[in-house]
Amino acid sequence: MYQYDAFDRTFVAERVAEFREQTRRFLAGELSEDEFRPLRLRNGLYIQTHAPMLRVAIPYGLLSTRQLRMLAHIARRYDRGYGHFSTRQNIQYNWPKLAEVPDILAELASVEMHAIQTSGNCIRNVTSDHLAGVCADELEDPRPWCELIRQWSTLHPEFYYLPRKFKIAVTGSPNDRAASAIHDVGLHLVRGPDGSVGFEVLAGGGLGRMPILGKRIREFLPKPELLAYLEAILRVYNRYGRRDNIHRARIKVLVKALGVAEFTRQVEAEYAAARATAPQVSAAAIERLRACFTPPAYQALADRDPSAGADAAFTAWYRHNTRAHRISGYRVVFVSLKKHGEAPGDMSAAQMDALADLADWHSFGEVRVTHDQNLLLADVPQQALADLHGALAGLGLATPNIGTLTDMICCPGLDFCSLANAGSIGIAKQIHEQFDDFDYLYDLGEIQVKMSGCMNACGHHHVGHIGILGVDKHGEEWYQITLGGSAGTEAVLGEVIGPSVPRREVAATLARILEVYVAQRESDAESFLRVVRRIGVAPFKERVYAADTAAA
Amino acid sequence: MRQILRQRELTADRWRYPGEQGAGQQVRTLAELLAMTAGTAQATGAPDTGVLLGPADELEPLAPWIARLALVVVHFEKNGDGRGFSQGQLLRQRYGYRGELRAQGAVKRDQVFLLARCGFDAFDLDPAEDPQAALAQLGRFSVAYQPAVDLLVRPRQRA
Repeated sequence: MYQYDAFDRTFVAERVAEFREQTRRFLAGELSEDEFRPLRLRNGLYIQTHAPMLRVAIPYGLLSTRQLRMLAHIARRYDRGYGHFSTRQNIQYNWPKLAEVPDILAELASVEMHAIQTSGNCIRNVTSDHLAGVCADELEDPRPWCELIRQWSTLHPEFYYLPRKFKIAVTGSPNDRAASAIHDVGLHLVRGPDGSVGFEVLAGGGLGRMPILGKRIREFLPKPELLAYLEAILRVYNRYGRRDNIHRARIKVLVKALGVAEFTRQVEAEYAAARATAPQVSAAAIERLRACFTPPAYQALADRDPSAGADAAFTAWYRHNTRAHRISGYRVVFVSLKKHGEAPGDMSAAQMDALADLADWHSFGEVRVTHDQNLLLADVPQQALADLHGALAGLGLATPNIGTLTDMICCPGLDFCSLANAGSIGIAKQIHEQFDDFDYLYDLGEIQVKMSGCMNACGHHHVGHIGILGVDKHGEEWYQITLGGSAGTEAVLGEVIGPSVPRREVAATLARILEVYVAQRESDAESFLRVVRRIGVAPFKERVYAADTAAA
Repeated sequence: MRQILRQRELTADRWRYPGEQGAGQQVRTLAELLAMTAGTAQATGAPDTGVLLGPADELEPLAPWIARLALVVVHFEKNGDGRGFSQGQLLRQRYGYRGELRAQGAVKRDQVFLLARCGFDAFDLDPAEDPQAALAQLGRFSVAYQPAVDLLVRPRQRA
């Protein structure tokens, strides 16, 4: 993974010193809350329902075990012993003390981490495919490009005070596992007409109150032009994006208002006009970054079937929580943070420490964060799987539910967030209770449930196969259900099935929806998403609300 | 008299903003400036004109005036409005403006480093701000990841 050099270390240390001084000024009354807000946000610090919330950047989801141990230390020393992994591949701490945040940032800096630009109206942490570098379907590893973008976007002098937040995702595989269509800019490494590799560029995606999928504005961009083109997009956005209404300020609103063709024309015109001064990505610069992401020292191992003769628990875990690796003899292992009774994405300090040990022993000392709030050990020798399973099970990190209904995405909701209408964590619990039969979950196959506690859509409900959105009705929690969304390669926004349902009815409503699926599927191989696309939402709607009437 | 942090020094302003009375040379709004162009042939000689830009003002109409401008004031309506950063960068990089480029309005020490990177060399700070603290802030970062105009500051970039 990327290692800081003296240059990066100097920068992060100077940044910590700057924020320490800003915090001092705020606490001394020299800065008003309004003046301090944009400064603290750009250092990852929110003021939440109970306390400040600190969001620490995990660039494109990569962590060394040294860094993971530091995250555990911070959870223990400055928080309440746990952290929450988010859909942005970051970690959030819900109980830090404002006065201690500069110390936390200094501790993070000691392991080459920071919280810079994890919130605020600026370019946020770049995200990517959690299988980068280990999947067989990849055209090229996106991580050197992610790191290039991370550095370029850090304290960019011109694009530090944007109309609104700005999220970039990069994928190197035709199978989009980074939800790039719901980002302000999505970059896909693709092969161009002359056979060289460059980028397809999407712009204007985003969820929230106005969910829109990104539109392609460039079919093929040569690699050296990447930053020049991003600057053109950002300059058009910075100058012409709306600033009068926070709900109309994302780039998607500008793209929609201008139309894709006109927006593209303006970007291309700016790109052409800036040619003389725009940054070019030199071959040497990208080679230097590429050298940070060379494959680990794999052993020559033969593929084996570790589930042969193994017990049912291991077999279920092997089948659901591990994936093929491009190198023979190795396997990709998901660490499920979706155990019944735990808030999705939460992890204790003890679990972090123990997982760091396991990653040192079995996966070259690296851990990844996925955008659906699990962790991943990317390079596990198949011969180590049995031991690893035993250890993970002992830690409560081996729930064999990856890709199933209970592998839900879920925002922190009312329990922590000052924006939420609904307690998404409680709903997750209700769903776990209703669907506690793993054989039934396996029979249902792949279903992505995504849940947000409010319209801001941190839980990506619009692109869940089943989306659940918390809404407030006269002080009561109700839930709106959408079906058929997908964040994958052919991204689609889900369709609302009808009036929202009361809190106590959410899991039962899902059960009815799934009955329709099971009855309608043509074979076990026809997934929930395919059935929704084939038959539409009407049959589901009918079942859900007919039952409602019957109950009333 | 208004004090401007100009070229790292606190100096008395010799300009009067639009709407201000009294001594000093008049700074014009973009509209006023363009109205002047309509009547007069393009003048030559030493730069002697000052203009104040609002955040939404376009730069293209300024192009014929660039060589005559001695002062461009970029007005920052509120903390967090980033349009002026693009205006500054473009004036320096694309239009080749060489005169004084002044950030005025909601400008505090926390913005001056990046403003200087975008080509600003003068600051008419928020009245509550301490100019010495703002000056110190210009030395806050010794390194930077991007190429930029970089006036007043010279952060090291990676080789």
